[in-house]
Amino acid sequence: MPVVLIERIPLPSLRTYTSISLALLACALYYAHNTALNPANLVISVPESKSADLPNELSSTQSNNTENVSFLGAASLLIPETLINMAYCCLFLIGKGVQKAVFGELRVSERQHMKDKFWNFVFYKFILVFGVLNVQEIEEVVCWCAWFSVLCLLHLLAELSKDRFEYLSFSPTTPVWSHFKVITLLVLIQVTSVSLLAMCGYIGVYYTGLDTFAFMIAECFLLMIKTLYVLVRYAIHLWDINHNGVWENRSTYIYHTELVFELCALSVDFVHHVHMLIWGNILLSMASLVICMQLRFLSSEFKRRIRRHKNYLRVLQSMEAKFPMATKDDLDSNNDDCAVCWEKMDTARKLPCGHLFHNACLRSWLEQDASCPTCRTSLNDLQPNPSSPEVPPPSRQHTPPPPPSPTTDQVPTAQNIMTNHSFHFDGSRYVSWLPSFSLEVHHPRNVATAASAASHSSLLDNMARQVREVFPNMPLSVILDDLRVTRSLEMTIENIIIGRVSAPPVSVIDQE
Amino acid sequence: MAGSALKRLMAEYKQLTLNPPEGIVAGPVNEDNFFEWEALITGPEDTCFEGGVFPARLTFPSDYPLSPPKMKFSCDIFHPNIYADGRVCISILHAPGDDPMGYESSAERWSPVQSVEKILLSVVSMLAEPNDESAANVDAAKTWREDREKFNDIAHSTVRKSIGL
Repeated sequence: MPVVLIERIPLPSLRTYTSISLALLACALYYAHNTALNPANLVISVPESKSADLPNELSSTQSNNTENVSFLGAASLLIPETLINMAYCCLFLIGKGVQKAVFGELRVSERQHMKDKFWNFVFYKFILVFGVLNVQEIEEVVCWCAWFSVLCLLHLLAELSKDRFEYLSFSPTTPVWSHFKVITLLVLIQVTSVSLLAMCGYIGVYYTGLDTFAFMIAECFLLMIKTLYVLVRYAIHLWDINHNGVWENRSTYIYHTELVFELCALSVDFVHHVHMLIWGNILLSMASLVICMQLRFLSSEFKRRIRRHKNYLRVLQSMEAKFPMATKDDLDSNNDDCAVCWEKMDTARKLPCGHLFHNACLRSWLEQDASCPTCRTSLNDLQPNPSSPEVPPPSRQHTPPPPPSPTTDQVPTAQNIMTNHSFHFDGSRYVSWLPSFSLEVHHPRNVATAASAASHSSLLDNMARQVREVFPNMPLSVILDDLRVTRSLEMTIENIIIGRVSAPPVSVIDQE
Repeated sequence: MAGSALKRLMAEYKQLTLNPPEGIVAGPVNEDNFFEWEALITGPEDTCFEGGVFPARLTFPSDYPLSPPKMKFSCDIFHPNIYADGRVCISILHAPGDDPMGYESSAERWSPVQSVEKILLSVVSMLAEPNDESAANVDAAKTWREDREKFNDIAHSTVRKSIGL
């Protein structure tokens, strides 16, 4: 939301800003020159030194104060402040130049991404400098601003490279030259961040304390992790494109790169924020609120990632346990490509239904759905015997519903208490004019279980139970099957009465 | 993930150009981005859409074929299973797991063995036989069910418009 506010402020274009800065520099030089020559010539007002960046603004107010005290002081202060402005101007120009040279015209999504990233960065660093470090001295503010401006530029360029890499990997015909440019930039950023790391080590050891050193180094690490990640992904991508044949382990490599780098970045960021919170000793302030929110976000991201990894491991494990690798004969008799990636299979896993897939292809599909991609046979743990669909779905369905609550007639679906919560209120049982309604809450988070439950949703289950009340001898599975076709309570009941649907031989009827 | 998606899309494009199915043309909008396709579908014979040529856009996710692409007609088309903005609503374009309407069994939904060709063929059969049970465009479903003549008239005018008459 800070972004929306800031977008309203009209910022000058880069060209205007550069020309204003140059003019200011010229004025300052001229002014300094004059003062040096003729000390009597001092009464010049300095209101035009308004520019967009923060340190300049601050130092200009300060310079106005000092001006009242001493004209000579003003003259000496004017030059550093214009110089700082000029430095910023140069930084902008460098950023723009690199962008023009490496990326050319930005795509809309990239521009939007950059803008968000930029204001986000400014917001959090503002909190860090003024909320946590609580910098008072103007020189210190300037130093921190300079440090973060350089970092911000590098961060933005790294982000841009990442976006551009993703875009370039969408096309098979990207010229080598554009890959080369992006990679060079990434390497440059990496080198710069290493030298920044060395620099802040030097500053930390000789000038400031360990804490400041830790604050600075965390930012460097984050930048390095990000750049390194893009570089590794780039290497994998280029290798993949330029080598012939099937590279089966590619997705495994990509997955692990992603996992390691993401977890590294999250933990560094987390420690960085915790450090801020402890060091700043600011438990009761706005800044701590912002930091706590950020901490919460980071920890939830961390947990999400770990959860996904657990799912990955689970899938991997059950896949290895349940589906054997295909034998040579299987592969020979199959002579078809993998149905997921359409590439030749040298090794494959065999599903119980007889279909073959690449190990990695099958794994990434099973992460989101537990069924055979080709024939849809369910591969869920709950159904160890998928070859006999006549067996009624998991026995959990037949467990009696929990005791009704005192006020309402509650019929929670016994199936999947974890994923679906359903509440059914049958008012007409009490008073004839009371309405009946049911409420259902889905948790589609766990895709694998949700998918296995999708074929008999709790609504269907509820209807089946009502039919069962009328025909207690009918097996639930038969009722469910018919309900899936008719989707109506009345029609199913009618079907049973007519005899269109009948109970199968006694052996399958389950007695509850 | 984009790497395997790219390879698969290239394979599909090659296959579609080598043996194109009848009445369907499809391919990337430009070679710089294989994740954005344009398709031309001719209206199936002996239906009210006969003779029309309908352009559509297919947008692929970067983890294709694990997730389905999105398909959107870029011309006006009045049909029970096509939203007013052109988005196509058929079960094989829905990821398994989410089923907002509760109408589809997971067997009809997206799986990585589906392909652009199969999607477009199902769209053709959807044009031929609208499914008014899970309607995306309620108006169209109602007209189709209750006033078939009017529906045919509208379809004919769409056809004429689609070939520039």
